[in-house]
Amino acid sequence: MSTVLRIILIIVAALNSLWIIMRIRKAQVKIEDSVFWFLFSIFLVFIGIFPSVVDWGAHLIGVQSSVNFIFLSIIFILILKLFRMSIRISQLESKLQTFVEIYALKHINPKECTENIEEKNSDK
Amino acid sequence: MKTLIIIPAYNEQENIETVVENLKQNYSQYDYIIVNDGSKDHTAEICRKNKYHFIDLPVNLGLAGAFQAGLRYAYAYGYDMAIQYDGDGQHDAKYISSMIDAMQSGNYDIVIGSRFCDKKKPRTMRMLGNTMISFAIRLTTGKRINDPTAGMRLFNKRMIHLFSHNINYGPEPDTISYLLHCGANISEVQVEMHERVAGVSYLSMGKSIRYMLNMFISILFVQFFRPKEMI
Repeated sequence: MSTVLRIILIIVAALNSLWIIMRIRKAQVKIEDSVFWFLFSIFLVFIGIFPSVVDWGAHLIGVQSSVNFIFLSIIFILILKLFRMSIRISQLESKLQTFVEIYALKHINPKECTENIEEKNSDK
Repeated sequence: MKTLIIIPAYNEQENIETVVENLKQNYSQYDYIIVNDGSKDHTAEICRKNKYHFIDLPVNLGLAGAFQAGLRYAYAYGYDMAIQYDGDGQHDAKYISSMIDAMQSGNYDIVIGSRFCDKKKPRTMRMLGNTMISFAIRLTTGKRINDPTAGMRLFNKRMIHLFSHNINYGPEPDTISYLLHCGANISEVQVEMHERVAGVSYLSMGKSIRYMLNMFISILFVQFFRPKEMI
């Protein structure tokens, strides 16, 4: 693993953390949602500092290049995150749907409703 | 001083009646509001049948959202103090008056109903998380909070405004820690808590590890970067 790549990993981790901290400062993200990105940054720094762990992991599963092992592990982590986010979006959408339905039902104006029905009846 | 008891309730059909009847009969000097957090059981029906004061959230928001709804109510109706009170019968209302006294005499922003103010914390697995969070707060703010996870907390008017209008102000230890950083006055008063009477807790075992991780990253790291609110 080249020194340049290790430095890039650490810089990206730092930028990633910085960016999410800015978002917290602007009150645009919940702290509990930022936790994943901090852990992800720690992971990037860790493999940047200890490339021997990556070499060992690559050897273990039979990947020739350590760099490919880094790509593989990052892809796996991001797939898991994506999966969790899909589920969360689904849950959010169904919650929103329930909310809108209940809200609309509670805010029916009884007068308007009966007027519409009366109009219909008078049309006949 | 107008005081509001906020009772977040999620699937508390077994407990809510006992809890509220006790408050109505013995502690009528305080107002109360139940926040039904989109319960799937008969919590809302019970409240409606007994003509309790309650906010009916159409979907489940979780404790933070339910409590914030209660605080918005407290803010809208001009309450001077609001107390977070469990709907499962774990909290005892007889300690509310001593918490209010402490808040008024010490001019505190938050008073925590603490289980371990005068008493020693038992060294069980359940209390390990509590001890660790307490230690993290001590480490970063230099202040001692004996029972940071206690759910019975009294807030003054300024805190009601702050908590009801902002993101990242959940009723959790990391907010307490952050507010200590901002210079808020926070105190503890010794209380006793009961074992929950029936039903299941908000926090399941599986969520506990995630909860601890959130708390640690928030207390040990994130709060140093949050803009300091002038208190």
